[in-house]
Amino acid sequence: MRIRRLFKWTRFGIFAVFGLIVLATSILCIYTVDTELSAEYEVNTQNIAKTIADSSAGILLNQNLATLQSLVDQFLEVQGIRYIYITSETGEFLAHTFVPGIPEEILESEHSNTAPVERSLPGMGDFIEVGSPILAGVAGTVHVGMDLDVVALKIQRAIGQQVYLISVMLVLGVLASIWFVNLAAKPLGELLAYAVELARDGENDELGERDLLARDDEVGHLARLFLHVSRQGGGRGLPAGTSGTTE
Amino acid sequence: MQCSLGPGASPNGNWGPLVTRKSVMRSGLAALLVAPFTASSLVAGRGQESGGSEAESSARAEGRGATDDEIVLGVSAAFSGPSRGLGAELYRGAMAYFNHVNENGGIEGRKVSLRLYDDGYQPDPCVQNTMRLMLEDEVFLLFGYVGTPTVTRVLPILKKFQDESIFLFFPFTGAQPQREPPYGEFAFNLRASYNQETAGLVDNLVRIGRRRIAVFYQIDAYGRSGWAGVRAALDKHGERLAGEATYSRGEKFTGSMRKQVEILQGVSPDAVICIGAYAACAAFARDAVDLGLDVPIANLSFVGSENLLKLLTEGQDDAERYTRQLINSQVVPSYEDTSIPAVQEYRELMARHDPQVPADLVQEEYAPFPHSFGSLEGFLNAKLMGEILRRLGPNPDRAGLEEAVFSIEDFDLGISERVSFGPDRRQGLQSVYHTVVEDGRFVPLDDWGARFG
Repeated sequence: MRIRRLFKWTRFGIFAVFGLIVLATSILCIYTVDTELSAEYEVNTQNIAKTIADSSAGILLNQNLATLQSLVDQFLEVQGIRYIYITSETGEFLAHTFVPGIPEEILESEHSNTAPVERSLPGMGDFIEVGSPILAGVAGTVHVGMDLDVVALKIQRAIGQQVYLISVMLVLGVLASIWFVNLAAKPLGELLAYAVELARDGENDELGERDLLARDDEVGHLARLFLHVSRQGGGRGLPAGTSGTTE
Repeated sequence: MQCSLGPGASPNGNWGPLVTRKSVMRSGLAALLVAPFTASSLVAGRGQESGGSEAESSARAEGRGATDDEIVLGVSAAFSGPSRGLGAELYRGAMAYFNHVNENGGIEGRKVSLRLYDDGYQPDPCVQNTMRLMLEDEVFLLFGYVGTPTVTRVLPILKKFQDESIFLFFPFTGAQPQREPPYGEFAFNLRASYNQETAGLVDNLVRIGRRRIAVFYQIDAYGRSGWAGVRAALDKHGERLAGEATYSRGEKFTGSMRKQVEILQGVSPDAVICIGAYAACAAFARDAVDLGLDVPIANLSFVGSENLLKLLTEGQDDAERYTRQLINSQVVPSYEDTSIPAVQEYRELMARHDPQVPADLVQEEYAPFPHSFGSLEGFLNAKLMGEILRRLGPNPDRAGLEEAVFSIEDFDLGISERVSFGPDRRQGLQSVYHTVVEDGRFVPLDDWGARFG
């Protein structure tokens, strides 16, 4: 006989608690990964802009623009960096990586601005652009555009991996809890069946030789109690080996 | 003659980046090694490790790349990809001369051989090839490199290994980095610079009233070098660039340049100066004509004039339509002018030897030209190189190279201009020639006003 009703709410409760944990962990994970990775990419982009700016000063002063372009091209190999441009202190474009030309939005922007700005460039995508001044801005400014789609993809992938892991843990946890509940329910089912048999045929000697009676736990105590009550025809005394409380 | 594929060579000439966190780190480290801005730190590092005497450095340089039988010159150039014609033509011209020298007993009994690697006109393979040439092959010197983006990445390596007295001779580029500090002292140039070429074009265009000049350029160090040259030349006339459009290195003739043409149409230029390789520049000229941008389109010598012309005319019923507005700047005289002694010699030796690119470097079919500006430049490079090697005497060593080059003074290469070198003069020739297409071939442009005024 199976004990379904008794543990119905227990199972539901376990599932609900696990679900809540997974949900809360996932939300926290998404928030943390999104915030941390976005900040990391922005900082990296700023560092790259600063590196180029620091390296450009001497090259710019020598007006060696081919070397400057060569420098810029190398940083374009860094994942996520989609464009770089260097403007002079007067706003002239001295090196850039745009093909087939410099976008209108970039041409019209404030070139000395170094604060991060989000840009949506037609045909290119969405970007976060950061700047870094060259020689405190008197020699120009370096601008680096990080592809937000690449950043978003990276973040989604990182979050996806974590949520996948948490979900697997949820499924394993629920399956394990069900198995443990069933483990507890099985002797109770046997006890219930035993009690029913006692009620039907309490004088049968065979009922006094069941393995259930040898159990050293609450189920064993109850089984022996049921047998005793059945044999005595009432609660006039407790059988040997049966205490009044569970241990 | 030895040859080999470069270590980083790709069978299809495609060097598209595989971007991973590791590869980014690796490329970052490589960039740190060769990036121009690290030069000072590299030099500092060398100074510490080279603590030995000058004599010790010199002794190390001696004998490398030169045995009793041969002198080995190292070459990294484009033999694959859309610009393979540039490397092939330059090589063919050089080998026409070196084969002639070797047939006649070599230089002081030593044959001149080239150790070849293909870089596909891409910087990273060129850097790898150079390290291999210097460290594994231990060539005597570097010779006949092709391209600005490649050479600009190699220059810091030469500075790093300056104790080895390894020099780059006669690269096929007119860019400034190998002509100016901090790297100018490690290279010797024969051809005129891009600044001289662009100044020649701008001066003549402005003179005939075409003052609104726009630039179409390859978005890399080469394109920027030409862009800067045009900008500086216009500045002298009180003008600014009318507009600009760009393309990515490696573009093929089959690609579309319509967007670039439309950008330049928007600024209504009087002329466009192209700083690119033949495949992309031919595509631009084609699309410009098709879209009605009817202005002179000028190209620099690096473009590879014969390959450009071939792309624009092959299979065309009205080929003249695509070529009548072309102006090509050259840094060597016309190979059609047989009154020039060096041209006579070049044509004779090209006909006799007809050098071909080694089979194991040929990944894509390339039909060479009997004569070309590129192969004539390669020939002149080799001729001057031969003279320098001769001046090293019977015991050539790298340490004596600079002195041998500086001894070249008023040297007659067989063209009208004489060649001189010195500590402050690391470029042999200064002349720029302008050509246009007539009857399917490039001929000298004598009257700008009559043709484009």
